Amino acid sequence: MPAVSDSALLKVDAVSVRFDTAEGSITAVDDVSLTVKQGEFLSVIGPSGCGKSTLFNVIGGLLGNHQGEVRVGGETVSGPHKSIGMVFQEESTFPWRTVRDNVAFPLELIGMPKEKRSERARHFISMVGLDGFENRFPGELSGGMRQRVSLARTLASEPKILLMDEPFAALDEQTRLLLGDKVLQIQQQIKQTTLLITHNITEAVQMSDRILVMTYRPGKVKRIVDIDLPRPRTSEIVGSEAFGRYVAQIWNDLREEANRGLRDEEKHALQRGSGTA
Amino acid sequence: MVKTGRLTRTSAAGPLLSPVTLLRIVLVLALLAIWELLARSGLLYRDVVPSLVRIARALGSLLSDGGYYYNLGVTAGEIGIALLIGGFSGIAVGLLLGGNRFLAKAFEPYLYYLGPTPKIIFFPVMIMWFGVGSESKIALGTLSCFFPIALNVAAGMRQIDTVLIRVGKSFRATTAQMVRKIYLPAMRHPIINGVRLGFGFALIGTLLAETKLSNKGIGFLIIQAYSTFDMPRMYAMLIVLFVLAIGANAAIGRLGGLDAIKRT
Amino acid sequence: MTTVVSRPRAASAYLPRLVGLATVILALLLAEAIIRIGWISQFIVPPPSEIAASFARLFLEEHIVHRFFYTVGECLVAGVMITVCGVGIGVLMHRVRLLQQACETWVAALASAPFVLAYPLFMVIFGRNAWTIIMMGFVSGLPPVILKTIEGISGTRRVLVNVGRSFNLTGSQQFRKILFPAAMPTIFVGVRLGLVFALINIVGTEFLINFGGLGQLINDLAERYDLGGTYAAICFVILVSVCFFMALEQVERWLRPVD
Repeated sequence: MPAVSDSALLKVDAVSVRFDTAEGSITAVDDVSLTVKQGEFLSVIGPSGCGKSTLFNVIGGLLGNHQGEVRVGGETVSGPHKSIGMVFQEESTFPWRTVRDNVAFPLELIGMPKEKRSERARHFISMVGLDGFENRFPGELSGGMRQRVSLARTLASEPKILLMDEPFAALDEQTRLLLGDKVLQIQQQIKQTTLLITHNITEAVQMSDRILVMTYRPGKVKRIVDIDLPRPRTSEIVGSEAFGRYVAQIWNDLREEANRGLRDEEKHALQRGSGTA
Repeated sequence: MVKTGRLTRTSAAGPLLSPVTLLRIVLVLALLAIWELLARSGLLYRDVVPSLVRIARALGSLLSDGGYYYNLGVTAGEIGIALLIGGFSGIAVGLLLGGNRFLAKAFEPYLYYLGPTPKIIFFPVMIMWFGVGSESKIALGTLSCFFPIALNVAAGMRQIDTVLIRVGKSFRATTAQMVRKIYLPAMRHPIINGVRLGFGFALIGTLLAETKLSNKGIGFLIIQAYSTFDMPRMYAMLIVLFVLAIGANAAIGRLGGLDAIKRT
Repeated sequence: MTTVVSRPRAASAYLPRLVGLATVILALLLAEAIIRIGWISQFIVPPPSEIAASFARLFLEEHIVHRFFYTVGECLVAGVMITVCGVGIGVLMHRVRLLQQACETWVAALASAPFVLAYPLFMVIFGRNAWTIIMMGFVSGLPPVILKTIEGISGTRRVLVNVGRSFNLTGSQQFRKILFPAAMPTIFVGVRLGLVFALINIVGTEFLINFGGLGQLINDLAERYDLGGTYAAICFVILVSVCFFMALEQVERWLRPVD
């Protein structure tokens, strides 16, 4: 892994997040520590309800009420940091802007002149493979294409760390695999340090250098798995034996957690049912 | 008022006339024929259903009458001012309530339940406050359009996709940038829709006030036609008014580009 | 996963409402003070206390209860007419597709037409009596019921229709057992809107043509320069309409299926 150096670009140190809800206080994230090295692709995987998205929001600086510390290149994160670019799970393109203006959005905010930002935008649009769609509105594109616009928009802000929260969750399996290839290719091309949050094992194994497995509520670090597969990778790797072993290993960890999550959900549904009846 | 249903546009390219167009033509013709028959039959009290010819003649003389345009101008001016005052205050209050949960919880129920009450009953109060001239009509128009606009804007602001706001924050947009580049464009639909609704209410409020007590304006002309029992003229005025109202309603939507933005 | 942050119910849930209520009471007290001081003439706005005192007169001298039931009666007749005709026309338009395609936009356009302004016309046609008022309410409340009926029936989830097919339901069974019940909540939204429009226009017309129940009372009192009475009557009408909307909303909530 030549692109990865030893210096930690992102350091999450003993972060915990608690929410007060009507049913009492819930610990969403419990004492999570992790580091992402320069050029590394790290995935955080866990069952739904393990606090992945909460962790995402804490690292992105969108959630302030946490304990512990997040540091980027030595600076403590308090509020959105310029070194971190976020790609959201939900459809997040601006429907009133063309593809070009969507991608140019972060450049517009820092006051880059129009000519220059058009050119930069075109560069990143081309990087995600959307040449020719510059003047289209998101409403005219497919879900996968819109998610690529979001990716290009975040890349255009040239973040040191790309932080993605299940960016392919709403897409179908084929699109998801192909888009994964695209992301990997871009990541290798520009040596982008990336932190991906996902619940999809294949996706995580395919893309990551390391995978951090989280437990179901409260979300703790269960295990960190090094993925020692050759690069460059594509979705073809999915068929290999080594790949299968990693998937099986991680699923083994996750199954237990997912099961706990399922039981918890059933219990809650039962309580709600008896509450209203 | 009511959300317009799907606008079914049938292609004119098919056979010479699509069945839908044909049915529409038949329906209109049938309606006109029944009307004319009723008018000629003399079954109804005289002039309640005047002959189409007389309505057309009244329409002609109405549209070539300078006095009519003067009164139309008076009414349009009153509605315009009402919409301006009610619109701006409505948008301001809507933004305030939409942006602040606490204020919304504290005060929005009052607006919500006062919104759909009959406003015309406030007219006597408006006369006491603002006199019998145009001011009281403008006041009633303002009162009528304030509520739908404020409620629409507040609801629209809350309906902004929260992820778009998070996107803005993640790119460290300043408050001014957030307002200009995210909140306002995202709220264009609800604002335009609110103004469109508000226009309808301002129009009704102003005109009703004119019919109750005034000496100029379209409302006054309508009630004058009623008291002189000039039915063809009354029909003519109502036709023009309905056409103008529906047209203006559509125009506000078109100008606001309600059909320009799509999201699938 | 969404992260909803909510605090314990107790204090924070009622605080805004209390603040709202307190503001209203404060505003009334302030108005009372300003009027008593004389910054606003008592002959333009009577002090709130005087308005409150006038309520008794409305009940004792102006037979407001009787008038209330008169207006309610008009609304009831208009409401029944709106529901029967609106749902009927809606169902008919849904069944005859061609008719729907031809007329739905017309109905939608009519929904935004200022029908109330035709009240002098209605007065000529029906005379200065309750029928003019009822018909005003009927005409203004009809379009939403038609539109929502069509929307409700044609918006029935495809899969439910297919379930009906799989049980070999006949056309009318399909309608009675599947389409109509599925459309019920949406239809009631239309009926609620229709009734709201009807009430607004009925009270408005009563005021304008000086006939009937509550609307006429306001007109009457205003013409007699009974300030306290006029304000009190307006408050009464608003109170009545607010209760009416709340009741309709309650019914709507009750009809809506649990999801």
